[in-house]
Amino acid sequence: MSNEKITIEFNDKIVRQFLLACAVWGAVAMLVGVLIASQLNFWQLNFNTSWLTWSRLRPLHTNAGIFAFVGNMIFAGIYYSTQRLVKARLASDFLSQLHFWGWQAIIVAAAATLPFGLTQGKEYAELIWPINLMVVIVWVVFGINFFWTLARRNEPSLYVAIWFYIATIVTIAMLYIVNHLSIPTSFTHSYPVFGGVQDALVQWWYGHNAVAFFLTTPVLGIMYYFVPKAAERPVYSYRLSVVHFWSLVFVYIWAGPHHLLNTALPNWLQTLGMTFSLMLWAPSWGGMLNGLLTLRGAWDKVRTDPVLKFFAAGITFYGMATFEGPLLAIRSVNALAHYTDWIIGHVHSGTLGWNGFMAAGMIYWLLPRLWNKPLHSVALANLHFWIGLVGILLYISAMWTSGITQGLMLNGTTDNGTVLAYPNFLDTVNAIRPMMLMRVIGGGLYLAGWLLLAYNLVRTVRGARPVNGTIEVFAAEAAPETKPLGLAGSIFNPPVLFSIFAFLFASVWMFGGDVLKIVGIVGAMVCVALAYLHYESRGKRWAEWYDRLLVTALPFTLLTLIAVVAGGLIQIIPTVVANQAANVEDRRQIPYTPLELAGRDLYISDGCYLCHSQMIRTLVPDVLRYGDYSRLGESIYDHPFQWGSKRNGPDLARIGGKYPNIWHLRHLQDPRSISAGSNMPNFQWLLTDTLDLSNLPRRIAVQRELGVPYAAMTDAEVLGKARAQAAAISEDLRAAGAQVAPDKEVIALIAYLQELGKFEPVKQAVPETGSRLSD
Amino acid sequence: MLERLFLSHATALATIAAFAVASSIFIAVAWRALRMRPNQLDRFSRLPFETPTPACHHEPKSESAAD
Repeated sequence: MSNEKITIEFNDKIVRQFLLACAVWGAVAMLVGVLIASQLNFWQLNFNTSWLTWSRLRPLHTNAGIFAFVGNMIFAGIYYSTQRLVKARLASDFLSQLHFWGWQAIIVAAAATLPFGLTQGKEYAELIWPINLMVVIVWVVFGINFFWTLARRNEPSLYVAIWFYIATIVTIAMLYIVNHLSIPTSFTHSYPVFGGVQDALVQWWYGHNAVAFFLTTPVLGIMYYFVPKAAERPVYSYRLSVVHFWSLVFVYIWAGPHHLLNTALPNWLQTLGMTFSLMLWAPSWGGMLNGLLTLRGAWDKVRTDPVLKFFAAGITFYGMATFEGPLLAIRSVNALAHYTDWIIGHVHSGTLGWNGFMAAGMIYWLLPRLWNKPLHSVALANLHFWIGLVGILLYISAMWTSGITQGLMLNGTTDNGTVLAYPNFLDTVNAIRPMMLMRVIGGGLYLAGWLLLAYNLVRTVRGARPVNGTIEVFAAEAAPETKPLGLAGSIFNPPVLFSIFAFLFASVWMFGGDVLKIVGIVGAMVCVALAYLHYESRGKRWAEWYDRLLVTALPFTLLTLIAVVAGGLIQIIPTVVANQAANVEDRRQIPYTPLELAGRDLYISDGCYLCHSQMIRTLVPDVLRYGDYSRLGESIYDHPFQWGSKRNGPDLARIGGKYPNIWHLRHLQDPRSISAGSNMPNFQWLLTDTLDLSNLPRRIAVQRELGVPYAAMTDAEVLGKARAQAAAISEDLRAAGAQVAPDKEVIALIAYLQELGKFEPVKQAVPETGSRLSD
Repeated sequence: MLERLFLSHATALATIAAFAVASSIFIAVAWRALRMRPNQLDRFSRLPFETPTPACHHEPKSESAAD
């Protein structure tokens, strides 16, 4: 070991850049949120425009909240804490800048496309394929910069915060790539490779774990670094943080199917999702308690220090949200809460309470240190806290009340469960209007608090001199006490090998045929017995393996990846392999005609799926209200699936043929002329905008590539069929008293809506248990 | 096999298997964490304090247990 010390200057410029971007995009995301919340109260705020309409802005709000606001926050926190925890400057200034500007370009591109209807039509995965490519490239840049920094580190041990960052990087890469696999039809449009139930499962495997690994694990890493720093005491229990990490990372990935409870998703997957969601209570609350107990002995400072106030409240909201999540994943609770505002309240207690408050605490802690100047106003920061807290509480209590009201009214029946208590959907919309208004006030207060932060930030930074942190390290650091593992050494070790073989045998036991089941169960039992015997005789080797793993980044990353991949494979592979046209229960979807497909693309482009589901659940009230429950086969050719996650309006799975064409025309033009009291925006541009059919043959061709059984058609035949159907609908409208040219967009959308719910019967075994209906 | 998967007969097994797998992971990790040596724990938990942090100018002065 050399005694010569060198001084390392951290790259804090990148931290400052991400921190400022977080403040700016946070304000934008919240502003759009308040606007769309207002639009639900006052439909006039849609301004009769396409690009300011609720369903176009809602994806902008969610993407800005997740990727712009929280994204910039986690990058700032990760870059600041990682450099200090590994005692090394970021590996590459160029990659850091590429990461920053690339990410901001993605955000701008999203803001420039989503309001104009350029979307993939999957929640939190709306970005079109060229932007998705940019995301993957920038994420890889981030990963390279991070792991390169770890490779150059001067501290051999990896603090638990680094573990959480590693899990974030590898898991988000896996989720994002798999869920965004698609075949382009043009520069701005593509169809996902998965369809129907496959797409539903993959989407919510991604959607749920975007919450887990983008909004939770990196922020937990930030918590494990910044809370001890702010409280000036080590984490309450490092042991608990180890258990927190592994159990959270392993369990979280399995819970995605809880977004699809009571739907056509196979029951075993629903049960799997529910069970693992309930098990998330343990690690989540372990982490929350570890965070809060780190403040032991520092509670007196919470009274005066805004940073600790934000952290304490943020961690408490983490506990609340992670208690509520598993609760909502219980199938019977979900029957009440799903598709209602309760879910919106739950999501916002996480994003505003957990992410927003942790971001505010981190920013207030970093500002004086990155600019070497006292915070402009501690009083304003405290005011921000109280305004924000009142705002969140108003918001989520309004959404709880609203959601439970919606659930009770929409599920309410009379006459021994045979008649709906509130048959008109609009009854529920009008009943929750006061709560929707309360949400606007709550969200407005939270935004006001954030603007106080922005003002405080500007006043603090103005005239201040940015400073970069430094550290002195020995030129050649001491060799670690524990020898790192090589890549092979980390895999070919008794604990890993026994686990892999036990997992494989257990899978064979679960999914194999009669003979394989016996092989599987015997193999699994032998594995467990051998593992026990080996541990008893060579336990030291097991302990040594784990100790060496803690100081070795690459194998650690690989094992984290295996932990998250296992859950995904178990859920997705059987569904992907088995979801063929033969496994459709008793119905199979009829492929869309070319015009209906064009109408469906408009439906997705205008964000109709954000208010209308296409999934009648296996629940009596759903069936009474919307018709026979949805079968697996009825959406088998839908790329992307359109089951939806929220019902601001009624389900549309069986809307086809229910009303005449003229009804749909009037309803799209002015919903209130048909449904008094509706808060749906006017979609009147559909009556004036001309339908672009130029890309339709290519779209049909891609659908065929994806397995949709279209007959071979020339381009002229595709266009001819579309025009003929459009002419027929236009003629029908003319007969009903409306003059709409056949080349207008609304004609295609009506064609699509009138097709919904059409299917062909399939001779197929039905469940031996009979009806899947439950109440 | 596929029929059994899709017609829900494996539901009960899925619950038990899920619980068993997660419990095994949890117990194994908890066991390793409990067996960590005190000096190892102390070293890890103090890592955030090994890099000097400038004062923030507005926090009340307090005795630090970690610095």
